[in-house]
Amino acid sequence: MIECKKVSFSYPPNETDIGDRKGHGTLRNIDLSINDGDFVLLCGTSGCGKTTLTRLFNGLIPHYYDGKLEGTVMLDGEDMSGLSLFDISKKVGSVFQNPRSQFFNVDTTSEIAFGCENHGLEEAEIRKRVKLVSEQLNLTNLLDRSVFSLSGGEKQKIACGSAAAVEPDVFVLDEPSSNLDAYSIADFRKLLKILKSQGKTIIIAEHRLYYLYDLADRIIYLSDGEIQGDYTLPEFQLIPAAEKAKMGLRPLGLGEFADIEPASLHSGQGIWKLNHFHFAYKKQPETLSLENIELPAGNVTAVIGHNGAGKTTLSRCLCGLEKRCKGILEKDGTSYSSKQRLKLCYMVMQDVNHQLFTESVLEEVLLSMPGKDSDESPENVAKAEAILTEMDLLPYKACHPMGLSGGQKQRVAIASAIASERPVILFDEPTSGLDLFHMRQVADSVKGLADSGKTIVIVTHDPEFILRCCNYVIHLENGRLEENYFLQDTEGRERLFNFFMMEGGGGNQTV
Amino acid sequence: MRRELLASKKKETGLSLDPRTKLALLITIALFVLSGGGGAASKQFAPILAAVPLILLLTEKSWKGSVIYFVLYGGSYILQLWALPHLSGLPNFLVVAICGFFMRFVPGIMMGYITVRTTTVSEFVASMKKLHLPEQIIIPMSVIFRFFPTVVEEYNAIGDAMKMRGIRFGGGKASAMLEYRLVPVIMCSVKIGEELNAAALTRGLGGPVKRTNICEIGFHVQDVFFLLLCVVAFAIPIVTMITGR
Repeated sequence: MIECKKVSFSYPPNETDIGDRKGHGTLRNIDLSINDGDFVLLCGTSGCGKTTLTRLFNGLIPHYYDGKLEGTVMLDGEDMSGLSLFDISKKVGSVFQNPRSQFFNVDTTSEIAFGCENHGLEEAEIRKRVKLVSEQLNLTNLLDRSVFSLSGGEKQKIACGSAAAVEPDVFVLDEPSSNLDAYSIADFRKLLKILKSQGKTIIIAEHRLYYLYDLADRIIYLSDGEIQGDYTLPEFQLIPAAEKAKMGLRPLGLGEFADIEPASLHSGQGIWKLNHFHFAYKKQPETLSLENIELPAGNVTAVIGHNGAGKTTLSRCLCGLEKRCKGILEKDGTSYSSKQRLKLCYMVMQDVNHQLFTESVLEEVLLSMPGKDSDESPENVAKAEAILTEMDLLPYKACHPMGLSGGQKQRVAIASAIASERPVILFDEPTSGLDLFHMRQVADSVKGLADSGKTIVIVTHDPEFILRCCNYVIHLENGRLEENYFLQDTEGRERLFNFFMMEGGGGNQTV
Repeated sequence: MRRELLASKKKETGLSLDPRTKLALLITIALFVLSGGGGAASKQFAPILAAVPLILLLTEKSWKGSVIYFVLYGGSYILQLWALPHLSGLPNFLVVAICGFFMRFVPGIMMGYITVRTTTVSEFVASMKKLHLPEQIIIPMSVIFRFFPTVVEEYNAIGDAMKMRGIRFGGGKASAMLEYRLVPVIMCSVKIGEELNAAALTRGLGGPVKRTNICEIGFHVQDVFFLLLCVVAFAIPIVTMITGR
């Protein structure tokens, strides 16, 4: 039993925080009680406070993150601010958003045992629990593996196993699906179902709702740090799709995507031809093997496929980042080798933090402009400011990029892609972990890029995003081309739906 | 490609030695082969110590490594023994320098390589624990091993981003290069470190109880054999000192 009584919380003000980040994650006057065995879904837009709420439940607030806390949070009748994180960790297990940063060990078995080791359990007992948990949660085939060899979905399963081995009553999960593809999500869903059937209390903060449609008992909708809605599942399902969209929530099922307008096709701009794109790591079998593929220039192509299908490899080869790939890109009789493609293509990476180098947003855009060095001539500055205006970033031109919110950082990266004046722009998973509003914003930016004549290639797992801005699909499987089609006609859309339904993307429900 | 500081997964093949044995061998080889300490008698013993990495490589069925190692060390040894008396002047000097270099450095480097490649992080942590090092040293050490591959990953991703934006060394922009590369690495590492810390705390790290460890390590017959070898290596200079030869 977890109770919040008149809880308010705000993070300490941070001078580097600007724009969207101000007041991010603040909670106001939360009264809430969660019964044992409940499966509670916390939803709302980015910055609505759902992550903050999970941190209250696992004790990271007030024991790890600083801020101003009022009111009390009670765990089984005890005030959590009086308990230590160690005490709380016996009752509450946590799983976080980023699979990369929650592993303490480098092999899976030690990771599952980690919590028990910290609690000083007997060796024999720990072995018993690791065995039990891995049998219950179907993790046996993942034991004794290097965590660096696991996929994101497998890592999240191990993280759950590690939490479960301590045998807590409550599981708190903060956006566990952000970095997972639809296939891994379906697998992860099974694991949550098992935990639920064990009678555990599960509290999960999520953007993607579809995979939880029949698991959640209760849905709590947060907006601006306040609880704006508290629904049972049947009540929540009665909310019309348009209303949900207004609340900034993603649809519950693929059925709701049917009436999205297809993105308009730009014809007559020629074709980019990909010839002989093969790739293999040293002494490894080929992970990519594509003979001839065509991309419609001036249009938006989605690259889809399961994990390990070669999507990211293709985008890296296309950019010229993999020297071992001898493929040639060709358009209108001109060929581009991998080295030349480094100057032809621009990739907006999944983690945009990797590609922001300078001290201000304006400098970031100037750095990308073609020419010898990023000269700050008046014309260049004017050009850069025009791009920033287009991206809604002009008010932040003097800000440090690292102080911006995730969505704004991504737009800075897109702005520098535009400034580079390169004809081909790639995106790697641009919408993972984005709420409805920000996802649509990215879709609009992408459409804008296509309208201005760029060729866009997007690696993505997000069916709604594809429908909003892509008009061509390349489906890879095991490094080979499975199928390719346009999305203008109903047949193409049908094929796309089929792919996501086969992945277990929750298409079998009608909400 | 992945780069790890210590292995993350146990190798199935080869003689499995306790990490402490490997550490003892590493120190012994460093002392008596690499830095050539211990006087004339120890010099006679050095080839025996130099054979240790070869034995380990062979039992691991690392044929390529064994051959390279054997050719480098054995070749230098034979060259020094047979060719040196017939040479003089510059060739003599070259052979002495090259052979001396190989015979001193190759065994130590190889032993170090074997140690890091065959020891898993959990084994290493468990053995530090058996050596009664305090938790304040062990936990930061294990975080470093966990962290190193991640930082390498971040570093490479940033390198890719720079390549794509056409930022390269040269042209008097070395300081900017350093800044572009290091600032994001530090930012990302700090963020990952903070999240890692939070995740570890919610799983009870740093609690008031004594941590247990499920990693099984211990000495076996092969460990005794190699440890005896180390003891002999240390005994030789001591004995020669006492007998005062």
